Amino acid sequence: MNPIAFVKEYWRILLLVVFVSAALVALFVPGGVTDDDTVVEGENETIDAGPTNLEYGLGLDGGTRISAPPVGMSADIDIESGQEREVETTLRDELGIDAADAVVRYHEDDDRFTAEVFAEEVTAAEFAAALQEAGVDVEEGDVDDEVTQQTRDEIIQTIELRINEAGLSGGTVYQEATVGDGYYIVTEVPGMSPGELRELLTERGDVQIVAYYPGENGTQTNETVLRSEDFASVGSASYNDRQGYHYVPVTVDDSEANDGSSPAADYQAAMNEYGFTGEGIGQCNPNIHDRETGEFDTDHDAQQWCLLTVVDDEVVDAHSMSPDLADSMASGDWENDPVFQMIVPSQQDANTLAVNLQSGALTAPLDLEQEQTFSLEPALADQFKTYSLLIGVLSVLTVSGTVYLRYSDRRVAAPMILTALAEVVILLGFAAAIRMPLDLSHVAGFIAVVGTGVDDLIIIADEVMDEGDVSSRRVFESRFRKAFWVIGAAAATTIIALSPLAVLSLGDLRGFAIITILGVLVGVLITRPAYGDILQRLLTDR
Amino acid sequence: MGYFDVPEIDYTRYSDRQLAAVPLAVLGVALLVLAGSFLLLGTPVQLGMDFVGGTELTVQTATPEEEIPGAFEEEPESIQSVASAENQYIVQFVSTDQEGLSEQAETNLEPAGGGEVIQQVSSTSASFGEQTQRTALLGLAVAFLGMSALAFALFRTFVPSIAIVVSAFSDLVIPLAFMSLVGIRLSLGTVAALLMLIGYSVDSDILLNNHVLRRGGDFYESTHRAMRTGITMTVTSMTAMLVMGVAAWIFGVELLSSIGIILFVGLTADLMNTYLLNLSLLRWYKFHGVAR
Repeated sequence: MNPIAFVKEYWRILLLVVFVSAALVALFVPGGVTDDDTVVEGENETIDAGPTNLEYGLGLDGGTRISAPPVGMSADIDIESGQEREVETTLRDELGIDAADAVVRYHEDDDRFTAEVFAEEVTAAEFAAALQEAGVDVEEGDVDDEVTQQTRDEIIQTIELRINEAGLSGGTVYQEATVGDGYYIVTEVPGMSPGELRELLTERGDVQIVAYYPGENGTQTNETVLRSEDFASVGSASYNDRQGYHYVPVTVDDSEANDGSSPAADYQAAMNEYGFTGEGIGQCNPNIHDRETGEFDTDHDAQQWCLLTVVDDEVVDAHSMSPDLADSMASGDWENDPVFQMIVPSQQDANTLAVNLQSGALTAPLDLEQEQTFSLEPALADQFKTYSLLIGVLSVLTVSGTVYLRYSDRRVAAPMILTALAEVVILLGFAAAIRMPLDLSHVAGFIAVVGTGVDDLIIIADEVMDEGDVSSRRVFESRFRKAFWVIGAAAATTIIALSPLAVLSLGDLRGFAIITILGVLVGVLITRPAYGDILQRLLTDR
Repeated sequence: MGYFDVPEIDYTRYSDRQLAAVPLAVLGVALLVLAGSFLLLGTPVQLGMDFVGGTELTVQTATPEEEIPGAFEEEPESIQSVASAENQYIVQFVSTDQEGLSEQAETNLEPAGGGEVIQQVSSTSASFGEQTQRTALLGLAVAFLGMSALAFALFRTFVPSIAIVVSAFSDLVIPLAFMSLVGIRLSLGTVAALLMLIGYSVDSDILLNNHVLRRGGDFYESTHRAMRTGITMTVTSMTAMLVMGVAAWIFGVELLSSIGIILFVGLTADLMNTYLLNLSLLRWYKFHGVAR
């Protein structure tokens, strides 16, 4: 037989062989078929993890996932450019909220402005009223109970940064739409406990340096002198050996704005004006702030010049200005090289401070009252892996047994089982190739695929062997086509039944639906036609 | 052929009414169960943690099972020991104070086997659960409507298509009533099983309709052939699902066990609905309906 005729004759089987081989390569050859450069890093982990290139999700690998919606609401507003700050200030004053909790944005792509408030206690009516106070015509009904996409993107970015800075790889953050028009921010991190992840998510991470000094008439005054966004670069948590303290080295932004001012210059000017570089040097009583309890004591006799490191409205530490730093500020040299050390009580504080400074603040906090948490120990996850494999093997054996009992003809039953298994191999290979993290729900999907797959093969076998022996190829083809109508119809219903799951955000179930739908497609397009060919070869006399 | 063969039922002995009576009666009882549960408990099927919120801990501890409730400030809703692993228990709570409960477990439960006390935590807040509930209902509705539309598109005649839709509906209601009676709570896993059931159960109906309507030949002959294939299919799936359900239950893998058991029950209902309800409607259509 010449090669072309051979291919023509057996193309369905050949196609199956090609797909199975490709799947095996994707599964077992280190590196697999992914040609993505960014993958290389992660690849080492997967090789360590097992003999295959399969990736596992939280449900089979351990880790923690927390889903929670962002707090806040937004409204489209009609203002001129340049009015943004004014509206923000009005919102803040009217609603009595922190500066970080009121944001006005300009959306370049569709040329509009939005105002957002990220505070739980503010109602839509209050928000609308405050906006009207700012001269913007917004009714309560115009308020959208969701923050803007930009805000969500920023939150996702910040959380990603925080996970990376905590030294954990493999974490993912994404948003998921709900049936209403709400969104959840979902964070998944392998190797983190729920408590740790929760802390990482709840911390707003708003860092400020507050100057605490005697004001005009001698009463102590608080004044925020530096905010997170004023830092140009932040070093990593460090330890000073000689004097024994933990600190984070920071550089203040010295790039000049249009009016010639820069955060560094402003900071220096403020320090000089408030007396920190003169009478206030060294004038901060260490007892003013209790490092153990974090309490800040305002009841003291002498005048105090303290620089407070404040994270999320809590005083982390209080210090006076060191003489060296004061000198360079007083002379005005400091702004040319605006670095200083933020000293904190412990290594842990230094770490969190560095992370907070580097990742910036969460644009809006997450509402953990409405959260969903899932966490699994790696040890139990390993058990689940073994169990899934066992359950899968058991199901396949059961199916094989039933099929054999029914036909008691190895020529029919053996290829049937092999074909159903080929379907699973192709799907596994696909999962490895696109690096889909497998979870328990996917395992359920694989088992469902074996189930539906065998069902369809039974339809083919029965149809083809009906009405006596299959003598000619033409008879076979016509019967096969008839069988295929039923299979196509059945496949279509399964796909329709499961497609809502594949699209809706029902957590665990998306994987199940995707695998089952893919399995049905692979079955109808590749494996079932091939089974027909095999059966034909075995049954027709040629 | 084969160690088991599909029995040939002599359908001529029964009238259409007689055939349809059994599945319709079962459907009626199932609906009554759901209605009763709705009146007594407020929901047709008890909703699981995924939908109403709550916390579930899987703990590994040397503390004996009966002393576990004492470790928590809140009375656990249920404690289930994992059959395959010694000292492993699944403890459920109504509250969503995941942190507090984890802390109490860690301080008050004796560790066993060197591993962490808390092996798995999942908690869902009530409002998150409500969201999930709405999503799941929407999913089920869309799936069912999609399947119905497809059935009508495939056969383009009213009676055979509605026969498929009615049996599929019954295939969903019967396992739901079963869950309500046995006390299986509706979870994401069981919703997946119900959706899968829509896909699976329609297969045998389509097969039957196809054989009877689109092929020539005697009605009973076609029916018998469709049954031979269809029952083999359904029984194969049923055994696979039963094995998966039981094995997963022994191993304490909830998601898989609920999918397996619900599919098993649903497919059993499907056998009845397809070969009694759908068949009687088809026969009526073939012998009386077409003539009109």
